[in-house]
Amino acid sequence: MKSEQKNSIKQNAGPKKKNFMTMQKRNSLEALMFLSPWIIGTCVFFLNAIFSSIRLSFSEIVQLRGFVMEWIGFKNYEHIFMYDINFMPTFISVVTDTLINTPLVLVFSLIIAMLINQPVPGKGFFRTCFFIPVLLGSGYVMAQLLEIDATGSVGVGIALPQVLQEMLGTTLVATIQPFLDRITLILWNSGVQIILFLAGLQGISSSLYEAAKCDGATQWEMFWKITLPMISPIILLNFVYTMVMYFTSSDNDLVSYILDQVFENTQFSRGAAMGWVYFLFVFVLCGVVFGVVKLGSKANEA
Amino acid sequence: MSVLTKQMEQVRTAKGHMSRENFSQVATSKSKKIVVRLFYYLVLCSLSFVFLYPFITMVVTSLMSDSDLLNITVKWLPSGFRWSNFKIAMEQLSYWRYLKNSLIIAGAATIGHVISCSFIGYGFARYNFKFKGVCFALVILSMLVPVQTLIFPLYIQYSKMRWLDTYLPLIIPTFFGYGLNGAFFIFLFRQFFMGLPKEMEEAARIDGCGAFRTFFKIMLPMSKSSILVATVLSFVWHWNDYFEPNIYIRTAGKRVLPSRLPALYALMDTEDAMDLVMEEDGYTFNKAMLMAGTFLVILPVLIVYGFLQRKFMEGVERSGLTGM
Repeated sequence: MKSEQKNSIKQNAGPKKKNFMTMQKRNSLEALMFLSPWIIGTCVFFLNAIFSSIRLSFSEIVQLRGFVMEWIGFKNYEHIFMYDINFMPTFISVVTDTLINTPLVLVFSLIIAMLINQPVPGKGFFRTCFFIPVLLGSGYVMAQLLEIDATGSVGVGIALPQVLQEMLGTTLVATIQPFLDRITLILWNSGVQIILFLAGLQGISSSLYEAAKCDGATQWEMFWKITLPMISPIILLNFVYTMVMYFTSSDNDLVSYILDQVFENTQFSRGAAMGWVYFLFVFVLCGVVFGVVKLGSKANEA
Repeated sequence: MSVLTKQMEQVRTAKGHMSRENFSQVATSKSKKIVVRLFYYLVLCSLSFVFLYPFITMVVTSLMSDSDLLNITVKWLPSGFRWSNFKIAMEQLSYWRYLKNSLIIAGAATIGHVISCSFIGYGFARYNFKFKGVCFALVILSMLVPVQTLIFPLYIQYSKMRWLDTYLPLIIPTFFGYGLNGAFFIFLFRQFFMGLPKEMEEAARIDGCGAFRTFFKIMLPMSKSSILVATVLSFVWHWNDYFEPNIYIRTAGKRVLPSRLPALYALMDTEDAMDLVMEEDGYTFNKAMLMAGTFLVILPVLIVYGFLQRKFMEGVERSGLTGM
């Protein structure tokens, strides 16, 4: 460090352009210092695994000892799409579930975050309440506490009152109940999103609202013209977070299917190929969302 | 005396000035406000009830005795607090041993995340360099790739490094900005540092403070709120995650506390089938003990959150996420 500083001092006397270059050099050296843990981590724990996983998905393990692999091209992928009768149906059901749930999670968590953002007595209590699901963990404990059974129906969730149930009849109740169960699960899955939205709402300066009020804007207009545009980055963050959470949660059918392939049936390369089909889909979906958001913000500017 | 009556008269006239129609308008807007407030609390209470109900049932059930469990009329208040449920659950879970394992993993991983991610996040927030866009895209990418896609290559890699069956695969990556949701924390810190004014650092640099010292002496003390948010979230997430620990750790005695729960629930199911087996030890494993066990598993998280709760919420409010 010291010799570097001396160097830069020496070069201060030199021509101006050279000085600028060294500043930049020093700057990027410092940046390298700060990023060095991340760079090491990326090489060791991320890129390495990604490349070997990709290679694995295109090959077959000939010898389990020492993992001798043989390149077989697209055969694993062919198998997934042509012969595997479980993969596609599970895949489609997981994707539709996620696509339905994610927007609902966003809407509910935004509403709740706006509710507990009001400066009213007891807000601390409510905030803690909505953080309980995060503390309890999303997987096993939650499933047990909510008494979720194998068909996905919730034992202790939102339910119609007994009187209403008798009036509506069993058929109608049976059609409404899965919907209510879904809402319960969505509420339980939106703890972190509520926190992030709350952080975003707190970051909006109150002078914006005051100015709007002076100009006679209603609450409704203020929501659409101020709140929503201001927190749009967080909506994006939450969207990605929610989608990844759903796609990677351990009670996701497809994930457990892939893991079964790998660790129970020892179909390592097929499992890797499935993982990559799955990931590519998630990646494309996120790319589409980013693209749409970018287009939207450009349209807003224009 | 006279002053008082004068004042009262003044008040009366002031009231009189408020004309009749004006007064009724005020009244309606006031009652409207009350109705809105009531509705607001009603919505909030019913929503929070969805979250609280399972939690409360867990706590209440964990204290019930056998007869309370069978009695349908006992729902919210057990006839007496049976603390022995907790003792039995502790024995069944081998609580202290697994608690230690979990605390080591979650604690070390949290420390790793806070140190490395604040460091890396600062680098992303304050420096411009070549390939910054590519690097940050990689951070986002590592957030998107499901752990499950990479678990098998990582497993092989760790087995070559002889890390399997130790806590290293869970702890070491967190010191390099990886591990469970590491990219999320990098992102969090980056947002926070980007929102801070640059003047403090510039002043420090002019006074001859190096990059590292500026970071540790000036930036870190300023980012207490973000550190707190990252600490709570990282601890809670690591505590509740048992997917990765179960894959890397094969020896049963080294596993984490939450991974004991499925066994406990299985015990309950087998109990239904053969009711009499455990009777000889003096108890049958019932739902109350199960709930006591579940409560014990999440208790450390509740304690950590309880201590940091107020500060955590303040930290969330100050995290500056909207300044993107």
